[in-house]
Amino acid sequence: MTKDLIKISQGTLYDPANGVDGEVRDLWIQGGRIIAAPSDPATKPARTIEAEGLVVMPGGIDMHCHIAGPKVNVARKMRPEEKRKAEVISRTDVTHSGTLGSVPSTFATGYKYAGMGYTTAFDAAIPPLGARHAHEEFDDTPCLDKGFYVLMGNNHYVMQSIQQNEPKKLKAFIAWLLTAAKGFAPKLVNPGGVEVWKHRQAGNVSGLDTEVDHFGVTPRQIVSQVAQSAQELGLPHPVHIHCNNLGMPGNWETTLETMRALEGRRGHLTHIQFHSYGGGEGDENTFNSKVVPLADYVNSHPNVTIDVGQVLFGETTSMTGDGPLGYFLSNIYGGKWFSSDTEMEAGCGITPIKYKNKSLVHALQWAIGLEWYLLVDDPWRVVMSTDHPNGGSFLAYPQIIRFLMDRTYRQDVLKTCHPLVGRRSTLADLHREYTLNEIAIITRAGPARILGLTNKGHLGPGADADITIYTPHENKEIMFELPRLVIKSGEVIVEQGEVRDSRIGKTLHVAPAYDVDAEADIQEWFEKYYSIRWRNYPVDPSYMHQPELIGSPNHGN
Amino acid sequence: MPLTLTYTGQTSVPVEIEGFTPSWAKDKSLAEIEQFEIFHGNQKLPLAEMFRVEGNASDLRFDLEGDLSGVHWIGAHMSEGAIHIHGSGGRHIGSEMRGGEIHVDGDAGGWLGAEMHAGFIHVQGSAGHLVGAAYRGSAKGMTGGMILVDGDAGNEVGLTMRRGMIAIGGRAGDVLGFNMIAGTVLVFGECGIRPGAGMRRGTLGLLGPNPPALLPSFRYACTSHLQVLPMMCNQLREQGFGIESSVANAECDIYSGDLVALGKGEILIAHQSAS
Repeated sequence: MTKDLIKISQGTLYDPANGVDGEVRDLWIQGGRIIAAPSDPATKPARTIEAEGLVVMPGGIDMHCHIAGPKVNVARKMRPEEKRKAEVISRTDVTHSGTLGSVPSTFATGYKYAGMGYTTAFDAAIPPLGARHAHEEFDDTPCLDKGFYVLMGNNHYVMQSIQQNEPKKLKAFIAWLLTAAKGFAPKLVNPGGVEVWKHRQAGNVSGLDTEVDHFGVTPRQIVSQVAQSAQELGLPHPVHIHCNNLGMPGNWETTLETMRALEGRRGHLTHIQFHSYGGGEGDENTFNSKVVPLADYVNSHPNVTIDVGQVLFGETTSMTGDGPLGYFLSNIYGGKWFSSDTEMEAGCGITPIKYKNKSLVHALQWAIGLEWYLLVDDPWRVVMSTDHPNGGSFLAYPQIIRFLMDRTYRQDVLKTCHPLVGRRSTLADLHREYTLNEIAIITRAGPARILGLTNKGHLGPGADADITIYTPHENKEIMFELPRLVIKSGEVIVEQGEVRDSRIGKTLHVAPAYDVDAEADIQEWFEKYYSIRWRNYPVDPSYMHQPELIGSPNHGN
Repeated sequence: MPLTLTYTGQTSVPVEIEGFTPSWAKDKSLAEIEQFEIFHGNQKLPLAEMFRVEGNASDLRFDLEGDLSGVHWIGAHMSEGAIHIHGSGGRHIGSEMRGGEIHVDGDAGGWLGAEMHAGFIHVQGSAGHLVGAAYRGSAKGMTGGMILVDGDAGNEVGLTMRRGMIAIGGRAGDVLGFNMIAGTVLVFGECGIRPGAGMRRGTLGLLGPNPPALLPSFRYACTSHLQVLPMMCNQLREQGFGIESSVANAECDIYSGDLVALGKGEILIAHQSAS
């Protein structure tokens, strides 16, 4: 018997990255990784997990959520009324207590993700000045490997470098900033628009070619030049883009122009559901879906990937680095509102919202999200997300899976929505149903590939032993909301919804190489404007729990 | 025959009996009732460890005996029946109640009737802060029902209340009706500073002596003998709330505000009789 050797016996494997679609196989684990089957048939594992009749997939990967950092923490403090009425997460021998609501506490976030079979998650919007805070919260978010994207679409140095036509400075700055924050990827949120919001009352950019006050650059330049620098740096996930004009009727043209601004470079457009609207002038009567032309573009341009940002009906909390959007939403819903200006870097808006199926706009948003899953031909380029908690909680993923795998259920819910949804979107005419293999792609293999995580999202030798075992059920929502077993780094962490091991997980980050001579210019600018000292800015490695560098640090030289 | 609970606890640590309502108890045996889980600080205990339980709850009536000022959430979430506290009670009495009535012979702690939706509460002594208020973060406080306090009440009475009636026989604290959405609060004693700050609609009646200066965002509207005031006072008298007839028929100065919010609220300031 070999110590720490585990065998998952006779499970039905869905491992699309390795071309395995529902095949009954054994899976071997050692040292926290998946290994090839031992050549000696007499090898005895220390533990055998009988998985006959069960579905085995890699652990889920949420590539776009908001689970840590300053804005998430503000949202938690802002919604005591929600927490008071939410399910209580009680302490056990291996877990901390916690709170739920639309913005769960750190520990509860980890337990709930793991309880649903997810083992990796990325926070999508951390201002570099909040990076230390995000890492500290990661250290209290168990059961998950984690990373975050670094806000830089409204960073003054980024815009200044573009204005001065200094692509080398821009490239060095992006690499320096990612390294200083210990982040994973560049994130552009309403590029240029947040800066205009800081300059003018209710300010924003109107499209890709609006000039940003003071800097004289356009969102198109920010998108294309950051994408170019990221490509040259060889980042595993080059650029993660929240387009301009989120939520506005008629914004689909901005989204299309953003895709074009990439000029063939790799780029990921996030929560694209919120950016796929026809109509104009804020008029609800003209609001409609424009997924068809946008999906056509995605289908014919392999450089573009998307995640959906599915809306689910119910109450939630909107939190965004898009300051003007937060203001817009707070005016619509009339509730409490938080707005923040993060010095030279970013903005933020937070407000409670409620999606109602009887509202034409909300029901259309729900339908538009589902259209995206069903109209993109290649599942490797569409990823499941709710933009947690903006479109809904990550806990709604099993329900989304049911929508995708069961068209009768989908159509039944559509019938409860505002009657005009059928005419303003194509959802009623879409009969596609996802297979389990396709679900494994959009929740695991696809996001791993898009993020450049070679050790995740698959079950081949060398992969991290992050594995979820489900009990098959006709109702896919039931199947996916309560896995039989969840294995993280080779250890069983959840059994039938009960957390057995609350390990914290790894921090995934990048450290691209850059021209260190460029630091002098960055430092001069930094010391002129920032409220903290240069030497205090970079996140010390001691803040990171089990750091894992993704990609080669030698790329980009 | 009501269910009688005699408090036997001797502790300075808060005791919480949230969820112990007449509806829950009505079909339970005494043995089951004695096992109802309460909190003593962060420890869960059966009810019988802190209360002697007698009688039965089939008629939806509770009689609570002893000094219950350290026992909180009495009658919270109740929807029917009657609870009579023969002494003082703690915080959150009648919180989020939807029906039934609660009578307190002594004093009540803070958050009396917080976020209550319907029902009736009468405190013969005084109440703490935040009577009928919204809990922190909530969009609405009390949305219906009636709370009568014969004695004094603390600050922020009627915070963000949406509907319903609160009457304070004695003095009310500061920021009466703070951020009030609608509803009625009448104070028959003195009142603390800044009444009606941020109120959108609703009525505050400052019917006692020495009314405070109003915020500059309130505008004088008129002076009038309001027909509705004696009607409201009659309604309160019918519920056993003592009001002098001179007050019920007093002439009032009426102010509109708060103009920093919607500005559709009103504050009535009663002219005091010459006696």
